[in-house]
This record gives sequence, structure tokens and C-alpha cells, in this order.
Amino acid sequence: MRTIVIGIGNPVLCDDSVGLEIVRRLRKELPESDDVATTELYAGGIRLMEAMVGYDEAILVDAIQTENGRPGAIYALDLADVAQTRNICSTHDGSLAVALDLGRITGLAIPPRISIWAVEAADVETFSEAMTAAVAAAVPEVVDRIIAQLQTGSFLYQEIRHENSSLFL
Amino acid sequence: MTQRISINPITRLEGHGKIDIFLDQEGNVANTYFQVPELRGFEQFCVGRPAEDMPNITNRICGVCPEAHHMAAVKALDRVFAADPPSAAKKIRELLYMAFFVTDHTTHFYALGGPDFIIGPDAPPAERNILGVIRKVGLDAGKQVIACRSRNHHVIQKLGGRAIHPIAGLPGGWSKPVSEAERIEIEAAARANIEFALFSLKVFDAVVLKNPAYLKLIESDVYLHRTYYMGTVDENNKLNLYDGKIRVVDPEGAEFARYDVADYAAHVAEHVEPWTYLKFPFLKRVGWKGFEDGADSGVYCATPLARLNVADGLTTPLAQEEFEKFHEAFRSGQGNGRRKPVHHRLATHWARLIELLYAAEHMLELATDPEITSPEVRRIPDRIAGEGVGSVEAPRGTLMHHYRANQQGLIEKANLIVGTTNNHAVIAMSIRRAAQKLIRAGQIVEEGLLNRIEMAFRLYDPCLSCATHALPGSMPLVVSIRDHAGSLLRTVRRDG
Repeated sequence: MRTIVIGIGNPVLCDDSVGLEIVRRLRKELPESDDVATTELYAGGIRLMEAMVGYDEAILVDAIQTENGRPGAIYALDLADVAQTRNICSTHDGSLAVALDLGRITGLAIPPRISIWAVEAADVETFSEAMTAAVAAAVPEVVDRIIAQLQTGSFLYQEIRHENSSLFL
Repeated sequence: MTQRISINPITRLEGHGKIDIFLDQEGNVANTYFQVPELRGFEQFCVGRPAEDMPNITNRICGVCPEAHHMAAVKALDRVFAADPPSAAKKIRELLYMAFFVTDHTTHFYALGGPDFIIGPDAPPAERNILGVIRKVGLDAGKQVIACRSRNHHVIQKLGGRAIHPIAGLPGGWSKPVSEAERIEIEAAARANIEFALFSLKVFDAVVLKNPAYLKLIESDVYLHRTYYMGTVDENNKLNLYDGKIRVVDPEGAEFARYDVADYAAHVAEHVEPWTYLKFPFLKRVGWKGFEDGADSGVYCATPLARLNVADGLTTPLAQEEFEKFHEAFRSGQGNGRRKPVHHRLATHWARLIELLYAAEHMLELATDPEITSPEVRRIPDRIAGEGVGSVEAPRGTLMHHYRANQQGLIEKANLIVGTTNNHAVIAMSIRRAAQKLIRAGQIVEEGLLNRIEMAFRLYDPCLSCATHALPGSMPLVVSIRDHAGSLLRTVRRDG
């Protein structure tokens, strides 16, 4: 069982970098293992599909913006839930769903299990390497939850989604 | 009463832009506004950083064309540090750049631009994607797209040191030479790219050019603008994507300007509108006359179509054949001693495929150039000249980086004109024209109709996340929307 954790976002666009930061921390805290790989990506769509080819499971980490969302709120989602996190779709080539279908019909090994962690962003329009405080504060918890997910193999998305149900569209 | 029709978000377009179309009392289009989220503070972000960091910072502006930013930045640094790279280094840069062009143009055609033609402008949006293209053209096409991306990403990784954001560009050259083993692999990739480009052109010919309805759509006045064109040419006025002089031709095809990019400020100025932070570059010597076609309006276009209009030809044989076929198909004719421009904006899709073939052929030329494996890839800078402008042709238009560094080598000023920015005015004009031609007397707006309006800007493949990078961070954002009588309908304000 091989898992890849993919952080997505723009590293110099304030809170948009939260997925990348979570993956960087995760890399430091995870024990060395051939079973778990991590990577950082700056674009979604076909590029994201290509990054997960050959793994049994993919865990995506991205920023999200929802109506009246509380900055720093954590969402645990699966593909059916997610209409739009910030970066999983590429508007230069299409949605992740289409990209995954493209991979499947052309014979690529798309992971059967894909889960998504998202953090509500406050500012994704100002160039900065630093995140806003509320978003930065969410990072350790997401790291812990992904480690728990990797250890137990279970993804507790419903529980957490329920916690944030008033925030999630 | 003014009715408002919103398309939000724009599907398949970077940056989640928004188009507002305003109708008058008769139900005709009074005006259109094309709005995108503004990114702020890029120049402030750069100031005070070491100049040599710029290729690795600017290539993160956008996840889509980092290679173009990396190249424009290193070329600007060559001048900041007064270090002209050895010939082999220039060729390695260009080799990587050709692989990038092949994958970028491929992805646009099969995933973004092509679906409008291959599946049809009136097809439901759920089918107008790459899966629909595969259903129509065959599964093999999908496999070829995946294989094309894969082999060229591999080349970019080998040459650039990293898969997505290259890091090998340095002022005065490149950080590592190409080994013979790498060269052999790259040569094979280039040959496969040529076959794939020819296949793509065949698809375009069979599905689009041989279909009278599509040809009529391409040649209709809905998607026609007679403007100036900009692109980069070599010493013989042939297309060059990596280096050369900036050439501008007028709507009749006569050369209007030809200059080193360092002189850009003498040729291009930027107009601002009250309703958007997007800047609208125009030709200084002509002047800003509004969102208008014609030789009296300073509006210009910088796209694959523009490049084929400013170039007198292409340097590779197969692409040159296509270039001639392209001009003959639109009966562009001769004037001022050269071919007249093709003004049909939807022909940009064909132009993009011709550039795909050129990039593939030129990639093979570079991969088989004896100098490409030379170990001489770096000239070590020994002084700071202070100021430098560098440019390349990005897939979406001429991309320019301008830096000024102090004697410690720290950035004091950074200015970028990105590919899409050049085209802001023509994009706005194309949207307005399409809306005016397609929405009349309160006619019901159906999906196919709105898609035809989206097609008007999709052909430019605008990349708005990086086109809005350079905005001043201190200014508040105020977007005002007015009806035909000038009354304010809506104000959106964001304090900077």
C-alpha cells in the first residue's frame, strides 16, 4: 500500500500556500518510509492527476474559500464533496474529475482512494511568503490528522465535515 | 431597465474571472465588463531580495507557465550582471523552452481550445472537454496527449533540474551541461513531438478546416479584429520564441516598429480604466483611442496568431509549409512587400498548432546541434550593471521582466508585462463584439450562445493569475458598474 500526500498551492501567495506548508511539516514529522511519499504542486487538473499515478491512495491538501468561511477552519472532504478547493482544478486544462477520467481511460493507474484536506484561507490575493495567523494556526492540527489517517488507514471526513457543517457550502 | 447577465465563474479559465454583460432597454448589449480577482504587492515582494533569486521567485507567480517566467528572468539577469551567456547555454535554455512550448500548446488545444471545435460550440459544457475530444478523435489521441506531456516534462526536469519550476537558469548561463545520454533521450522526444504535432494538424484539418460550418464561424465578423500585432523575430524576421527583436506590424501588415526589448518603454504605455485594475498596454506612438480596431487605435495583440502575423516565415521546413498554407487558406494576400495579417481571432487555434510543430522541429535541431553537449555553459559575472530587461515569447504573448538592482545586487525595482496583459484590450473587445453580435433584441441566452462569448476570450488562453501580479498594494480596489445612462449600478470596494 503506497500513499502520496500532495500539497497544492502557490508558495508566494499568502494563505494559498497552506497545503504546501502542511506537506513540508508532514515530511519532517513522518518517519522515513517507502510507503508514504510527499510532493508539492503548483497547479491542479491534469498535472495533479499525473502526480498521483501509480499510488494506491492520494491525500490532497489545499486551501479553500467558502461563503462566510472562518479562516483556519479545517475541512476533510472526498472527491464527491468537493466542488472547488483553490487549486485542484486547472482552468487551463479542466477539472480534476475530468483529468482523473482521462487518466483512467488512457490506462494510467489512478489511486482508488483519494481524500482531500482543505483549510479555509483568508487572503489569497497578496504576494507574501507568510500566511495569516488563523490559517498558520491550523497547520499543526492538519498535520496530526493526516498522520493519524496514515496510521489508522481511516479517513474521518464525515466527523470533521459535521463539525464545520455551518461553514461548508 | 437594464438587465444583467452573469457568467460566473468562467469555466476553464485561470483566475475565476467574471463577465458582466449589460443590456439596454431594447435588449441589446450596451456594454461588457471582464473582471478578474486582483493579486497585489508583487513588486514590493521583490524589492530588497537578491537579484539572482528572481528566476526562482517569478517562476512561482503561476503554476502554468513557470518556464516562461524563469527564462525572461534569467535573460534580464544576464543584463543586470552584464554577463552574456556562452552559445551552448543559450541553446540549452532554448531547448528546454521548446519542450515547454510543445506541452503547453498541446494541453491548450486538446483540453481547452480544441473542444469548442472538435465537439462543437453548441454542445453541453459537460461534454466540451478533453474526454469529449477523445470520444470524437479516438482513445489513441488521449494516450498521445498524456505521452507528449510526460516525455516533455521529463526533458524539462532533466534540463531544468526540477520537474515543474526549473532552477538551472543563472545570470550568464545555465547551471549544468547536457550529457550525451540526455541528448539522445531528448532527440528521441523531439522526433516523437514532430509526429504528434503533424497528427494534431491533421486532426485540425479534418475536423475543423474541412467542416464548412466551422470555417464560416472562423471567418465570421464576430471573431474579427483588425489591430496591430506584436511578436519576437530573429535577424531575418523569422519567428523566434526565445530571443530576438520585438516587431510590431500594423493592420495592413507593414512593419510599424522593431526594437530591443530594453526600449519597451519608448514603444508601449499602459492605459487604466476606472472599472478594473487590469492595465491595458497600447502603442505609444499611435495613442490610446479606446477599445477600437484599426490603424488609428494603439491597441495591439500578442498571441500565436500575432506571432504568425509579424513573422515573415518560420525557420523549420514543415512548420513553414503550414505557415504558407495558413496564409493561403485565409487569402491574406500581399501588401507592403510581405503577407498581410490574418485577422480572424479563431484562427489563433490553428496558429497555436503551427507553433507546436515549429517548437518540435526546432527542439530536434537543438538536440542534434553538436554544441548542445558543450561543457561551456556559464560566464561568471564580475560586475553589476544594475538594470536589465529580458523577454521571451510566452505561449500567451510577449513576456517582459525588467529589474533594477543596486550595487549590492539587491532588487530596487521590478516591473513585469506578462503575455496576457498585452492582450487585455483585445480580450475586452472580443468579448464585447461577440456579445453584441450574438445577443440581440432580448433574444434568450442559451448555453451555446454564452459559450460562443466565452470562445472569444478562450482563444487568447488568458492567464489572469499572473497578469494581475504587479498591482500596487496600497491602492483600494473600487469596481464601478454603470448603465447606459451613466448611473452607477453597483460598486465593489476593497481597501488595500
